Amino acid sequence: MQRRMRMISLGLALGLATTSLAACAENKGGSTTPGATGGGGGSAAAGDIKIGVVLDITGAGASLGVPERQTIEMLAEQVNAAGGINGRKVKLFVEDNQSKEDVAATATNKLINTEKVDILLGASRTGPSLAMRPIAEKAEIPMISLAANAKIVDGSKWVFKTAQNDRVVLEKMVDDMKAKNIKKVAVARDASGFGEGIPEMLAEVGKAAGIEVVKVEKFAPDATDFTSQITNLRSANPEAVLIWGIPPAAGLGQKAAKQLGVTVPIYQSHGIGNQAFLDTASESANGVLAPLGRMLVADQLKADDPQKPVVTKFIADFKAKYNANPSTFAGHAYDGFMIAVESLKKAGTDKVKLRDAIEQTSKWPGVSGVFTMTPTDHSGLTKDALVMVTVDNKAWKLAG
Amino acid sequence: MTDLLQLVFAGLAQGAVYVLVALGFVAIFSVREIVNLVQGEYAALAGLAAVSAVAAGLPLLVAAVIVVPLVMGFAVLLERLTIAPIKHMTPLTSIILTLGVSTAVKAVMLLLWGPEAKSLPNFPGSDFFLGGVSIRSQELWILGISAVVGYAVIWFYEHTVRGKSLRACAEQPVAARLVGISPRTATVVAFAIAGLVGAVAGVVGSPIYLSSWTSGLTLGLKGFVAATLGGLTSLRVAMLGGLGLGILENLVAGYLSSGYRDAVAFVVLVLVLLFKPHGLAGKPTAVRV
Repeated sequence: MQRRMRMISLGLALGLATTSLAACAENKGGSTTPGATGGGGGSAAAGDIKIGVVLDITGAGASLGVPERQTIEMLAEQVNAAGGINGRKVKLFVEDNQSKEDVAATATNKLINTEKVDILLGASRTGPSLAMRPIAEKAEIPMISLAANAKIVDGSKWVFKTAQNDRVVLEKMVDDMKAKNIKKVAVARDASGFGEGIPEMLAEVGKAAGIEVVKVEKFAPDATDFTSQITNLRSANPEAVLIWGIPPAAGLGQKAAKQLGVTVPIYQSHGIGNQAFLDTASESANGVLAPLGRMLVADQLKADDPQKPVVTKFIADFKAKYNANPSTFAGHAYDGFMIAVESLKKAGTDKVKLRDAIEQTSKWPGVSGVFTMTPTDHSGLTKDALVMVTVDNKAWKLAG
Repeated sequence: MTDLLQLVFAGLAQGAVYVLVALGFVAIFSVREIVNLVQGEYAALAGLAAVSAVAAGLPLLVAAVIVVPLVMGFAVLLERLTIAPIKHMTPLTSIILTLGVSTAVKAVMLLLWGPEAKSLPNFPGSDFFLGGVSIRSQELWILGISAVVGYAVIWFYEHTVRGKSLRACAEQPVAARLVGISPRTATVVAFAIAGLVGAVAGVVGSPIYLSSWTSGLTLGLKGFVAATLGGLTSLRVAMLGGLGLGILENLVAGYLSSGYRDAVAFVVLVLVLLFKPHGLAGKPTAVRV
């Protein structure tokens, strides 16, 4: 009988182990459109321009990756309908990295070695982008990430990115805190690459303004309950709280903060610019402060804003095709894809020339801002690309 | 002190969801010695289905009331299709089999609802503070509903002839048959109960903990750990285990690091399997031989 029970226990343990393994394997069921989509139709003619796309389509980054894929597919169709790039059709190769670093690396290798793509786009989040970077650099292929952390491009020759640098975002935020005379900030940050180093950078950027970070808590990108983190932030008696994450986690953090009686101003990162944030945070989002790109407040922009025509057309196109408002992440995808297209127009598919063309992007009005790349700045945006945005009744509003 | 109470209370609510899932494991294992890894999927499925029902314009409570029986039916249907045809079921076979089924169910949920996590609106009520501790009205709903459902399940298994006959099936299958208890009906009833508690967990938990195609896995594993505390056969220990696990997770997240939250369940599982493989209640029961 003892043996029987032991066998059962062993069986259970084995079952659990298998289940955890299966958790990795079964996500494969979620990879949408493996291989080629959109683009130039059936045959991969030698003349097609191959664009490899690695996005967080399932897993923690799904609310980013899905609209990004939609955007890139829509733009590829538009480009091909208009006759392609210098007469060559665009062919997309979209891979789902399941929001995981290792899967992103595998997908990148596949795109480079098997599909022989001309340029890489992705990933949606910092972690997977960092996993892709060394592979792109080793293969000497230009890569444009859609994620935020400056580490993705710091000192890199081949890698660019279109989301605003987190340093730029923090600078904008610190300006706002300075104006409100806030000195003590408690931070809850995403435990993955997106939040890595944020409290330290906030302390550094805010030093001149006398801002200090009084407490730091972390949360998993797929966390749902924030009671423990917010309770600890609250005990530090801060003058403002910064939640640095992406929805739905960022929205749930916002909600928990309000529910747990945080009355000081709540700042969020530029990672919250989508409907998922408004949905998960609902009323608790009212009054939140976040430095975001101009797209979310397009209707409130001045008529002479250089981004206005770009943003307005993009929103109209996206709405017409998908019957939903594009998120800021869709905007990052627009910028990444269109910078690639512009550069391909100028330089063709020669890797070195293409890379140089991307680096020479200058005063190009995109959705997230006006881009000027330089050899030392592969991100291309300054804090002028951002405006302080708040939420009022489930709608984005220019703050103050 | 406020912080401690806050963490404990949030843990209680979280634990109450684990309790419901754990009861599902016990409800089936104590009748058929089947470890049903689809248990967590019932919750995910119910949550997602309720979200869709609400999106289609149904009032929240109506959606909840419709979804729960649907998921119960789904649980029974899956049992008829996948468990019933197996002649010689052992716990190990059941683990492998239900793992496969749960993977298939997940894939279907991904196709139907997409990859993003969704949440139900809060149940009626408003949040308030009690001695500095924030109490979310949804947490009270979770605790209340779990308590009612949990005690109903215990009462059914321990105080009704029907319920006792189910356990007789597990303890003396041949004798049970001789006195006219159909093992087939017993299994169907056990799966219906498992579907019920799983679905309720999914619906009450969704406003706070969200529902997605993957949420069933974690929830199922946590519930399973709580159930092992009771040797997979004790409803009462499984209930206490679920609450304890929820509280422990929140304390670890609050005082150590939130990164360890999900590790708590597995550490507990390893310790239980090493030192108390028959559950915390202690002695291996002779009837289990």
